Amino acid sequence: MKQLLLITDGCSNVGVSPVVAAAHARAEGITVNVIGVVERGESISSAEMEIEEIARAGGGMSRIVNTRQLSQTVQMMTRKTVVTTIQQAVNRELRQVFGAESVEALPPERRGEVVRVIDELGESSPLRVALLIDTSASMRPKLAAVEEAIRDLVLSLQSRSGRSEIAVFHFPDSEDGDGCVCDLDWTDNIAGVNRILTKLSMRGTTPTGPAMMRVIDFFRQDDYGRTNRGETDGMIGEDVV
Amino acid sequence: MKTSSELRLAPGAIVTGKWKRGRYRVERLLGEGANGQVYLVEHGRRLYAMKVGGDAVDLQSEINALRALASRRRAEPFLLAVDDFVHEDGAEYPFYIMRYVRGSALHEYLLREGADWFPLVGYNLLVKLAELHEAGFAFGDLKRENVLVGEFGRVELVDYGGATAFGKGVRQFTELYDRGYWNAGSRTAEAAYDLFSFAVLCLHLFEGRRLLQLSQTLLPQNRSPAELIRLTDGHPQLKPFSGWLRQALRGEFATAREAAAAWQRIMYGGGVKAVRKRRSSSGWAAGLFACTMIALAAAIAWLMTEGVLPSGLS
Repeated sequence: MKQLLLITDGCSNVGVSPVVAAAHARAEGITVNVIGVVERGESISSAEMEIEEIARAGGGMSRIVNTRQLSQTVQMMTRKTVVTTIQQAVNRELRQVFGAESVEALPPERRGEVVRVIDELGESSPLRVALLIDTSASMRPKLAAVEEAIRDLVLSLQSRSGRSEIAVFHFPDSEDGDGCVCDLDWTDNIAGVNRILTKLSMRGTTPTGPAMMRVIDFFRQDDYGRTNRGETDGMIGEDVV
Repeated sequence: MKTSSELRLAPGAIVTGKWKRGRYRVERLLGEGANGQVYLVEHGRRLYAMKVGGDAVDLQSEINALRALASRRRAEPFLLAVDDFVHEDGAEYPFYIMRYVRGSALHEYLLREGADWFPLVGYNLLVKLAELHEAGFAFGDLKRENVLVGEFGRVELVDYGGATAFGKGVRQFTELYDRGYWNAGSRTAEAAYDLFSFAVLCLHLFEGRRLLQLSQTLLPQNRSPAELIRLTDGHPQLKPFSGWLRQALRGEFATAREAAAAWQRIMYGGGVKAVRKRRSSSGWAAGLFACTMIALAAAIAWLMTEGVLPSGLS
């Protein structure tokens, strides 16, 4: 199972549309969730529509929350998405085996066993979550809460019985301005990591879409065994833009 | 299926099960949890609690936990029926019917009936947790609102949305009560996870303000069981249990049975002193009793002479 979780507080303003990027992710089997994070009293109504659209295109969900709710929301969304992904797969099986469209279509006494299977698979299937963090100027005061949420997520994932890993990226990139920086490669333990988000750029752009494309590429490279990342980074850019 | 937060069943509404055709009349909303709403309903002239979920899979996970528990318990069944209904808006909602437990949330009960009930209610709650653990599940989301106390301190756990098979990741929890939040261990469902929450629950009851202050002011990396342990011996109700609480916060009890037995020893071992001062001089109390009896006798004599009471009474 592959998930991309975008944490942002504004609209993208450079490069490919993040909605298009999310649709790409979905085609690659990656579910995209989006959290819009606000400080008390702050309104990001202009970005809300985009946030919702990205999640819809990526087959995931979106929420606008304040920094205090961030940890719980990240944890809940990841978990809920795992269940939904498994459920979709199980529903396909149900159609073949029972001719039932979904779990809901089964009589209640037959649901118990199916849901036990869903719970079991949700716990034991390998899971990879890539977190993509917007670190543009308005996000800076919120990054402490973001780091806490990432640590909290790792703690939750560690209690799963299946293999669970996260990777962390942030954008904008200090080098070229429309990519993203990989802060953490796939890992299941960040106990030794002092600061997660480092090397933040001073640029004012918000290249959400291009950054998402990079992360999709990162997932894909990994599927084929990691080789020559440096070379293909440029190619995916040409492919899409 | 829709999310249940959109649903509002009005008093008097009739819910008919799609599969088993049971009819339930809604009396009122009892409460709302993360996975759905609980209504008081009438069926065959008896009252039941009905939980309506937004998501059939989430609700079924909860039902699976309740089933596992029911198969272990000899007492009257808690879970009575499982079905779906079609709302007038066309959406379908899964629901289950359970025994209705008359009672109030733990903190409200102690406020009304007095903190003298705390040691007994605490013990009863530990026994409930032990029963659930022995069925192979942790409760997960233990907090004040999920503990219902009825007559004479009888305890019932409500909202099994967090119930998780041992060894799995806890399905649902509340940060303040969560072992992971306090950097005191994993989120794996096990006895010690619930016992940690139980200890925080005790702190919440008597040191609520200080507890909330801790969670709001401490930096995430500084949250620790040691900080919580500091709250355990300030309040007179907690003081006898401070050693017990320390053990629970450090995860030192292997099972809820063991923890309950330790709690019981404190309860009856003279560790608990009534907070009200005991009357030390029984002499004047006896005197007071004698005076009352004389006054009573005088009153009866007067009433009899006035003919208010039938003379046959004497």
